[in-house]
Amino acid sequence: MGLFDALVGRHAVKGPAARERLFALSTAYVTLSTEYSIESAGVAGIVFQPLATADFESIVGDMEQVVKATAGDLGATIESKDDGYGCRWLIVRDPASVEDLVVSINGVSSAIEDGGYGERLLCAVFAFRDAKGAAINFIYNYKRGSWYPFVPAAGEQQRSTERELQLKAQIGGELPIEPELERWFPLWGIPF
Amino acid sequence: MRLSLREKGFGVCDHFPMTSKRSAFGRDRGLQGRMLLTMFLLGLLYAILIGALIAAGAGGVTIAVVAVALFGFQLLASDKLALATMGARTVTPQEQPELHAIVERLCVQADLPKPRVAVMDHRMPNAFATGRTQKAATVCATTGLLAMLEPAELEGVIGHELTHVINRDVMVMTIASFFAMVAAVIIRFAFFFGGGFGGGYGGGRGRDDGEEAVLLIILVSVVVYAVSFVLLRTLSRYREYAADRGSAILTGRPSALASALIKISGTIERIPSNDLRSAEGMSAFFIVPARAKQSLMNVFADHPPLEKRLAALARLEAQLQGTGS
Repeated sequence: MGLFDALVGRHAVKGPAARERLFALSTAYVTLSTEYSIESAGVAGIVFQPLATADFESIVGDMEQVVKATAGDLGATIESKDDGYGCRWLIVRDPASVEDLVVSINGVSSAIEDGGYGERLLCAVFAFRDAKGAAINFIYNYKRGSWYPFVPAAGEQQRSTERELQLKAQIGGELPIEPELERWFPLWGIPF
Repeated sequence: MRLSLREKGFGVCDHFPMTSKRSAFGRDRGLQGRMLLTMFLLGLLYAILIGALIAAGAGGVTIAVVAVALFGFQLLASDKLALATMGARTVTPQEQPELHAIVERLCVQADLPKPRVAVMDHRMPNAFATGRTQKAATVCATTGLLAMLEPAELEGVIGHELTHVINRDVMVMTIASFFAMVAAVIIRFAFFFGGGFGGGYGGGRGRDDGEEAVLLIILVSVVVYAVSFVLLRTLSRYREYAADRGSAILTGRPSALASALIKISGTIERIPSNDLRSAEGMSAFFIVPARAKQSLMNVFADHPPLEKRLAALARLEAQLQGTGS
């Protein structure tokens, strides 16, 4: 946002960044899996702000139908959930392949974007497990087109920053990682 | 929603003597008027002080140094001072998981770095934001606000505060009022030299001229100050509308913010007088301005009237639903 916009108090909500950055996960996953034994948990979700308007609901309704049909062909299931913060999650389960998860999530975001509501997209979350079975999430921020790891730790609202920074060092070459640590927003209560 | 720092332009003291709400003291116009008068006099004092400094022979360099020092102090210290004086305490995600989660999601949506999150222990429902830059910002809510609002409403209020951060309102208002102050100093300065170095040096006719010049200088600075006071208040109201609008756009839920504003203003009106008195030091935090409709007070208020804010939000909701223009 420019200085003039700040001066006149004008601002627009940013739309999503270029789509191909989401797909970077497909190739990065090969490295995660082969070199670091980090395997997909077979589930991913996309979170967005639903608008309580007829137009938005019809776009989301149509999109769910299409994604369900496509996902069904791929052997995936789709589920929709509203969380306590007024955000809606679409959860895709596909044990077979991370690539299909990415394609399904991209299908959801593309439909919302094409409907003219791209600025309502917040994040996509992909769940993984390391060799010890600990949960690792990679979160994609639609506004910035960047990724960051989110590793919940034992205890309420605790995260393992050490593990996250290790992951950044391990995969930073292949995944566009968010450079500013203060934008590694946690997502508590991920509904999967 | 009342951003205490928007008043800071007149000096840090202005954080505290602020508008009050309608209260058990009866009509609040009188109280509001007294507080405004206090602020006005403080500013006047400030202007007369500098004027007196000049008249006493202090050089331009001294004035400039004092002005820059005041400006620096306002920019650097006043938000911390405000936070400390209000008893606001930075909270961890463990202490306030829901508030943090709301701030985080809105930050993703607004593409902002996460500000510090603070809570002030008080029944009065309110919130404010401070910080000169987006990276040094703090968003604070009172415990009364957290207890009263539903998550969507709280999100609307936090969205309003984050819009103040996005719009750099602290910086804008500080700079705007700084230049008003500088303008006042310059005008006085010009008259000072134009008037033949003030009174006291010449004799006879020269002395009369000098006295007239000094009178004129004071008169002009009073007028300049009065005008800039009204202008800055007007500016502040526009920033409030902008923050309401920004919040509605950010959350996609203008009616949730409207609902929050109605709840907050209703609660403030019901708060008993002893509570108001105990809260006197933090009256800068009241949210919705009083019922001083149709009066001159509108010109001086730093927040727009509730009904106008609600009407603006209703227009946004109509646009969102596709039923408005």
